[in-house]
Amino acid sequence: MNRGLMLKAAFEIWPATLLCGALLFGVEAALAYVLPTFEAQLSEAVRQIDFLKTFIGVMLGVNVSGPLGPEAVMAYCWVHPVVLALVWAHALVCCTRTPAGEIDRGTADVTFTLCVTRWEILRSETAVWLVAGVVVLAMTLLGNIVGGWYAAADPRDDWARTLIVLANLLCIYLTVGGFTWLVSAFCDRRGSAITITFVALLASFLLNFLAQFWTLAERISFLGLLNYFRPLFIFRDGIVPWRDMGILLAAAVALWIAAGIVFNRRDVCTT
Amino acid sequence: MLNQDSGVFVSIIETQSLTRNYGRRRGIESINFSVPQGSLFGFLGPNGAGKTTAIRVMVGLLRPSAGSAKIFGLDCWRDSRSIKADVGYMPGDVRLHPWMDGMRALRIWGQIRRRHLVPYGRELAERFDLDLAVRVRNMSRGMRQKLGLILALAHQPRLLILDEPTVTLDPLMQTAVHKLLREMATAGHTIFFSSHTLSEVDQLCDRVAMIRQGRLVADESLAALRKRAGHHVTIRWPDAAAASARPPAFLTVELRDAVVWSGMLDGPVERLVHWLGERPFDDLSIGPPDLETLFRSYYAAGENGP
Repeated sequence: MNRGLMLKAAFEIWPATLLCGALLFGVEAALAYVLPTFEAQLSEAVRQIDFLKTFIGVMLGVNVSGPLGPEAVMAYCWVHPVVLALVWAHALVCCTRTPAGEIDRGTADVTFTLCVTRWEILRSETAVWLVAGVVVLAMTLLGNIVGGWYAAADPRDDWARTLIVLANLLCIYLTVGGFTWLVSAFCDRRGSAITITFVALLASFLLNFLAQFWTLAERISFLGLLNYFRPLFIFRDGIVPWRDMGILLAAAVALWIAAGIVFNRRDVCTT
Repeated sequence: MLNQDSGVFVSIIETQSLTRNYGRRRGIESINFSVPQGSLFGFLGPNGAGKTTAIRVMVGLLRPSAGSAKIFGLDCWRDSRSIKADVGYMPGDVRLHPWMDGMRALRIWGQIRRRHLVPYGRELAERFDLDLAVRVRNMSRGMRQKLGLILALAHQPRLLILDEPTVTLDPLMQTAVHKLLREMATAGHTIFFSSHTLSEVDQLCDRVAMIRQGRLVADESLAALRKRAGHHVTIRWPDAAAASARPPAFLTVELRDAVVWSGMLDGPVERLVHWLGERPFDDLSIGPPDLETLFRSYYAAGENGP
């Protein structure tokens, strides 16, 4: 890894990290406060509105019938679409910077002609992204804790389970990042890289949704990211999802290596 | 190319049948040239001729479709990192990170190159009259060009590759850059300089390669080109009878009145002087070698050159 490149990446990443971190802190704190406080009202709404029942069921990975219960409420704080969207947005912003972002703004001519290999560039950028990712997720956890303090009844009694959920979310974040690196390695335009990744994430989300009703979608539902992130089971049963996390990490590493190979072999043309 | 006696590379850049296509679009085709150490090498061609493509292959941004490009005897694609440690490169349209200012850029570049670039960078900034505290986003194109040059020069590379480096600089700054490049060449640095400005190459370079439609059409020393270049000639005859003589084959008379011929001399001046020695004439005026016309003939000629 190259210190100069890491410094450059850190300078460029910190505003997005600060913004995403602050937003995640706020959203998570609000969710951790509002959902347990209004659990009864939420359960009633879920019972009455079919779409909400289906939607929350898809996010949690269970069929929701009857009251949600404290574990489901806690779990929903971590799978809320806004939380996932912000976490993924951070990965998208960071992982499309190189090479797509550098080529797009024309700075690749200068950056990629310095005395570093492309693998070094990718490694340095990845190291900074990982640190930024940990910061963003730590802010999310902090928001969850702060919101929980003020909630009418903080149902959290096992911190270890929350940390397992966080670790699982980190694995999701890494997989999204790995995929984004790969798309970015193919693209010359950052906008294209972001759009392709966003569409893929949306498709993955829809897949989880459609799998509830459509047999074909169910067959390929293993491609859906949320299949590997089920905080409700962690909070309810206390089981560490080693298999899910292993699959996510393996995918993240494989995608990242593929991104490095593509980046290392590709031509760079800014005009 | 390795000099067996001294053990140093005498050809800093060497290309062999270097070809690069963009799918069906032409880039460069079978280019061969070599750049001697310590030379100021001009790479000349009209817009879209393939200059930038050749340079991008040399700095490891593009992989050759066929042939090879070597710098310091190393392959430009495979050994790109080792090569770039001793190469300074400035692209034609320099785009730098907008949040950087000059000083921060020098510090970060220094850390990437693992060298202390600030002192010499400051010296260069003074020379080019650039305020290093200004952020790139607030810089004019000329200022960015200067910062790009400073970043390319700050580590005092053995080889400097510049793609149209003075295109946005004012004439005074162009002179300052030319002076610095001459100093560097004198100190043994090699400068590969792409341009489409004929006068710039004429003033600065000691060797020139010309590229047109992706093919190399000339690779010669400026001295040899000057020898081959035509001269503007004006001859004043004593009377109309003398002026009615038939001009020799090596003299193209473009303007002719009762007693004056004005035209272009092809080849050495001695031939004309010898020819005139046998005739009465009042006055003879011979201009400097007209490289511009020669260059234009290369630009405009058919596939096989003039």
